This record gives sequence, C-alpha cells and structure tokens, in this order.
Amino acid sequence: MTRYLLISICLLVFGCGSFPKKQGFTQTIISERIIENNYFSNENTDYVYKAQIDIYNNHFGGLLIIKKIQENIHRVVFTTEMGTKLFDFSFNENDFKVNYIINDLDKSLLIKILKQDFKTLITETLKIENHYKIGLQEVYETSLYNKKHFYFYEDDKLDKIERVKGAKKIVSFQFSYISDSIAKQIDIIHNNLKLKITLKSIN
Amino acid sequence: MCKLLYIVIFFFSVNVFAQVPMNNQEAMALKTLVKNRAATTKTILSDFTQSKHLDFLDNDIVTKGELAFKSPNLIKWSYIEPFKYSVVFKNETLYINDEGNKNKVDIGSSKMFKQLNKLIINSVKGDMFDDNAFSIAYFKHNDSSLVQFTTKDEKLSKYISAFHITFNKKGDVEHVKMLEPSGDFTKIDFVNRVLNSPINDTLFTN
Repeated sequence: MTRYLLISICLLVFGCGSFPKKQGFTQTIISERIIENNYFSNENTDYVYKAQIDIYNNHFGGLLIIKKIQENIHRVVFTTEMGTKLFDFSFNENDFKVNYIINDLDKSLLIKILKQDFKTLITETLKIENHYKIGLQEVYETSLYNKKHFYFYEDDKLDKIERVKGAKKIVSFQFSYISDSIAKQIDIIHNNLKLKITLKSIN
Repeated sequence: MCKLLYIVIFFFSVNVFAQVPMNNQEAMALKTLVKNRAATTKTILSDFTQSKHLDFLDNDIVTKGELAFKSPNLIKWSYIEPFKYSVVFKNETLYINDEGNKNKVDIGSSKMFKQLNKLIINSVKGDMFDDNAFSIAYFKHNDSSLVQFTTKDEKLSKYISAFHITFNKKGDVEHVKMLEPSGDFTKIDFVNRVLNSPINDTLFTN
C-alpha cells in the first residue's frame, strides 16, 4: 500500500511539472520588481469595445465599457448593442461591487468568472516573482487574486497574459493591434470552459 | 449683486418654462394626431443616431444606422457605424446578424422580452398611449411636443423607468429617450424619415 502511494505521488509530481518547464522557458535574473499593464490606465479615455461572446455554442454580443474613475477604481459595464444595460460592476482596489445585473445573468459562478477576467484586464502593476525568456519574449511570473499568471512582453509591449494552474493554461488574454496604449483587439479564451470573449475597440 | 441674481433667475426660469405642460385639450389633440398617424403608417424607413449616456463616461457612445418598419410588426434595426450589426424582430423571434455571425433568439417564452419588443415597435410609431402601463405627461417645446411615459409595471421599470418621446408638428417621432432607474439613458434621434414607401418583405431577413 505504502509503495503504491509513493509511486502515485511520484507520478503526480513528475507527471505535472511546471508551466515554465513545459513551455521551455529559460529562467533569468533581473533587477526589476514590477511589471505594468497600461491598457486601461488612462482616466481620460472611455474604453469602449464591441464584444462577441461564445459560450457553449451560444453566441451573443454587446458593448463592453471600461473606465478608470480614479487611481485603483474602475467601472465595467456591459450593454446590448441597443443600449440595454446587462451588468455594471465597480472595482475598487480589492473590493468588488455589482451595481446592477439583469436577472438572467445573476449567477454567482458567472459573476466570479467575469470578475476575475476583468480584474486581470484592469490590474496595472504586479510584483514579479520570477523571470524567464522564450525567443524574443520576456515572461514574468506573478500572482493575481492568489492565482499564478504569466505576462508575455515583446519590445516592452504586453502581448499576452496566461492564467495557469500547475502546468496547464486556464485562461489566455491576447492583446493585438496595439496603438496609442490601446489594445484594439483583446481575445479572452477559457481553456477549461467553452467560453471565448472577443473585444474590438470602437473608440 | 442683486441684479445679477435676478438675471440668473430670469434665464433659469426661461429655460425651465421653455417646456410647458399641455392642457387637456392640447394633450388630447396630440394623442389623436399621433394615433391617426400611426394607423396610416404602413412602412417607415429612417436613419438614426443612438447615444448611450453613462454617467461616469466623458462622452456618450454614439452609434448610427438605419431603421425599417413594416406594419403590423416587422422591424429591422441595422447599425452601420462604428460596427455592423442588425436585428430583425419577426413574430416571436429575433434574427441577429453580428458582423456575419448569425443567431436566432426565441423570445416566445419570455414575457419581459415580448413586452420590450412591443414597446420598441410602439415607440417607433410613438403610439404608446396606454394609461394602464404608463403615467403620461404632455409638454410643449417650441414647435415640438414631448410626451413622458413613466413605466408603471414594477418588473419593466427595473430595465426602463420612462420613455420620453418628442414629436414634430405632423405627429412623427423625432427622438426617443429611454431612461434607466440609475439615470443613465439611451437616446435615439431619427432623421431622413420616409413614410409609406413600398418595402419588400425580403428586407426583413438576416
């Protein structure tokens, strides 16, 4: 029995491995302590995106509006194309408040998923825990709401964030067509759920 | 100082009274005009500009498109700028074309959606004079009339607390403003309205 347990533990430990190892990252030492995500950091900008959401073979759309109200405070609102408000969230440092949500979407699991995804989008500074390189990309390991995240930069531009559990990618945030510190397209892909959110800037 | 105060009060008052409540006779005349206009309207084609006002934003979100209506209940909203999106209301189904992604939503089972659908159709024609559903207030403003329909239904009022509709002299809808309980609103301005030109049913496919 003990032998069986030992073998199981060994299999578990060596079978999983770490995300950096699995991805073939090279660890390096750097002096910086902090990384930044400035895609939603300008208080003078109304960030307005046309959103397309695919969830378990259902497709629906709307407008996602993100606004930095003041330091560490963001509002995130989702409306239909015709203007009907579907939800309205406030993020204040580590506080989160649902100002409004329509009954059909008022599900705690859904709110948790959205809260985490938006928190990742709007968090501006993060403490670096480890640094790696792969090809031309700098990869920074950090933690956000106690979950491991990897930030991928190329030419000082944030291209991608991966939320990771063990060696597995759980959620990918891809930022493309970047101009004037605005990511014109953002793709949020959940690998453990059939959920994909595509955001296209209409500013 | 006193003079300045009077001037301020004067201009403020003028601004407030520019929107004058109608007397009963005027209100009835407007209601009849709009109802007759709605009854003789078989089709509507119009451009529209939609402004979404959210209190915390610096600017309203402006989208533009075209509206097509065919009596009794075919309606197509097409957004053209800054994205392409259209929705056809047909029977109890919404047919959505979201930049090529086609989707169908059955609203037959949702009382709320049915109600909203009916209101959208009625608001395009302006014929929302239902005293059971709304408390209705009538105002004059220059050459136009403003009617405020305040929602009575408790469930609906969680989404939309009031519709404010501005009519021109002929009884056509110029603006529709849908207010939310939070004070945020969606305003739709109609321009280049063409009434009763023939529209083929095939336009209402998506």
